[in-house]
Amino acid sequence: MTMPTLTLATQAATISPLALFLQADIVVKGVMIGLLAASIWTWAIIISFGFSIGRTSKGCAKFESDFWQTEDIDRFYETRAKSDLPSAKVMAAGVAEWRRSTAAKSIDRDGTRDRLATAMGSASGAEIDRMSDRLNILATVGSVAPFVGLFGTVWGIMRAFTSIAAEQNSSLAVVAPGIAEALFATAIGLFAAIPAVIAYNRFSHGINKLEARLNRFSDAFYATLSRELETQR
Amino acid sequence: MERTEKIGLGVATAGHVLLFGLLSTGFLTTPNPLKLNSPPMDVSLVDEVALQSAAPQISRDPPPPSVAPELGETAEPAPSVAAPSEPVVAPPPPPTPKPAPKPTPAPPTRPVERAKPKPPAPKPAAAKPKPAKVTPPAEKAKPTPPAKQAKPAPAKPTAKAAPSKDRPTPAKPAAATTGKGKTDKPRGSQLGPDFLKGIQNETPAPRNAAPAAAVIGARQKSALDSEIRRQLKPHWKAPTGADVEQLRTIVAVELTPSGAISGSPEVVDTTGITASNRTQVKLHQELAVKAIRLAAPFKLPPDLYDGWKSLRIAFDKRLSQ
Repeated sequence: MTMPTLTLATQAATISPLALFLQADIVVKGVMIGLLAASIWTWAIIISFGFSIGRTSKGCAKFESDFWQTEDIDRFYETRAKSDLPSAKVMAAGVAEWRRSTAAKSIDRDGTRDRLATAMGSASGAEIDRMSDRLNILATVGSVAPFVGLFGTVWGIMRAFTSIAAEQNSSLAVVAPGIAEALFATAIGLFAAIPAVIAYNRFSHGINKLEARLNRFSDAFYATLSRELETQR
Repeated sequence: MERTEKIGLGVATAGHVLLFGLLSTGFLTTPNPLKLNSPPMDVSLVDEVALQSAAPQISRDPPPPSVAPELGETAEPAPSVAAPSEPVVAPPPPPTPKPAPKPTPAPPTRPVERAKPKPPAPKPAAAKPKPAKVTPPAEKAKPTPPAKQAKPAPAKPTAKAAPSKDRPTPAKPAAATTGKGKTDKPRGSQLGPDFLKGIQNETPAPRNAAPAAAVIGARQKSALDSEIRRQLKPHWKAPTGADVEQLRTIVAVELTPSGAISGSPEVVDTTGITASNRTQVKLHQELAVKAIRLAAPFKLPPDLYDGWKSLRIAFDKRLSQ
């Protein structure tokens, strides 16, 4: 008598994800496809965000150091304000508000200061929002994917048990494939969720740093403009 | 969608496809460490063990007393005669140390053992005379000269007794030897003209009562069982279903000496019935009877017909394995 568990083990060892997917139930298949798409999307975000946040923080540092070294803010504004960098947007908002406020004949200094602060604050807030737009996807995938995978597993195991009942045969060989494919759903869920959670924490830290940098820059620029306002007329 | 996101999406998709491709082609398959080449072992499970021993029975009756005249104290026809004499012997030893050597030669008799413990102490007496005296009566009783065969037997007991019990080793062997000279002679049994008397008187019947062959012993029983199982197995197909493996149907069947079924197999009982397999019981029994009918002319050793004349066969999951 050969031992059935051993032959089963050899089969299970060579079973491929594709085979597991193909023999799965339609619901489990749907779960797997969804989780796979979530995983792909997560990684797309991770890659693009990793690029963009690195490039943005480097560009901001460069832009700010250039900005503080320039003699003529107006000319610097003309040449660099079209940049996509958040710092450039903040500076552009401040300069635009400055020009608008100082165009009038009589200058309301307090009102101008308020408007400058508000304009630059909202510009930096908008930039941060735009940057962190994708992060909520990472957070969602990170928290939901395990549950979706678990749902697929529970469904698959339920189906395995019904197949036991249908065949009236409780041997492991009947149950094992169903349970294996069901567990595969949880595996994919975790596969999608773990990188998403790690990336979410990492990137929100990066966004926080960027926001702090933008705030410091807008404060400094605001101080400069405020000082400049004193000298106006 | 920004350009970086497109790049990211492309890279992520490519990475996933690559990863799953690798997994699908068995890139990360764990080598199966269990390469068991052990040859299958045949295990036969025997339900009923024959409780009857097939070994030739040893008669518990004491051997018939030999009538042949015998010398020495060894138990025998004379025992009745010797017994009185030995008790007499036993008392004297305590005072006189040496009786020991002599009693030893005749271990079978109980009085001797009693005598043993006491003697060891006093050496001097050497008591050769006494044992000698004691034994002589026996000699006298059977005055036939000593047979040669008798000698070795007494010699051993004395040899053993001397080293083990007695401190005065040198002296005792000597005593023993001296004793031997006297005692050896008495030991031999002498075949007299009347030595067959006792045997003839005792009926030999009880000894031969248990002939070895006719009885079915445990071995034959299990061999028969496994042979019957082997012949039934190809025809026995248990029904499938929940808990069916717990069912066990016992069928009684009578066989003719040719191995055919006489009468019809009868279902004795089915055990292991649970709520979930109750519906299968009837089928189980029918299949069991059918298996017997299909296997019908059983080929079994005719000389053990007694062992398989009437069979009770248990059909269960084990039979089909």
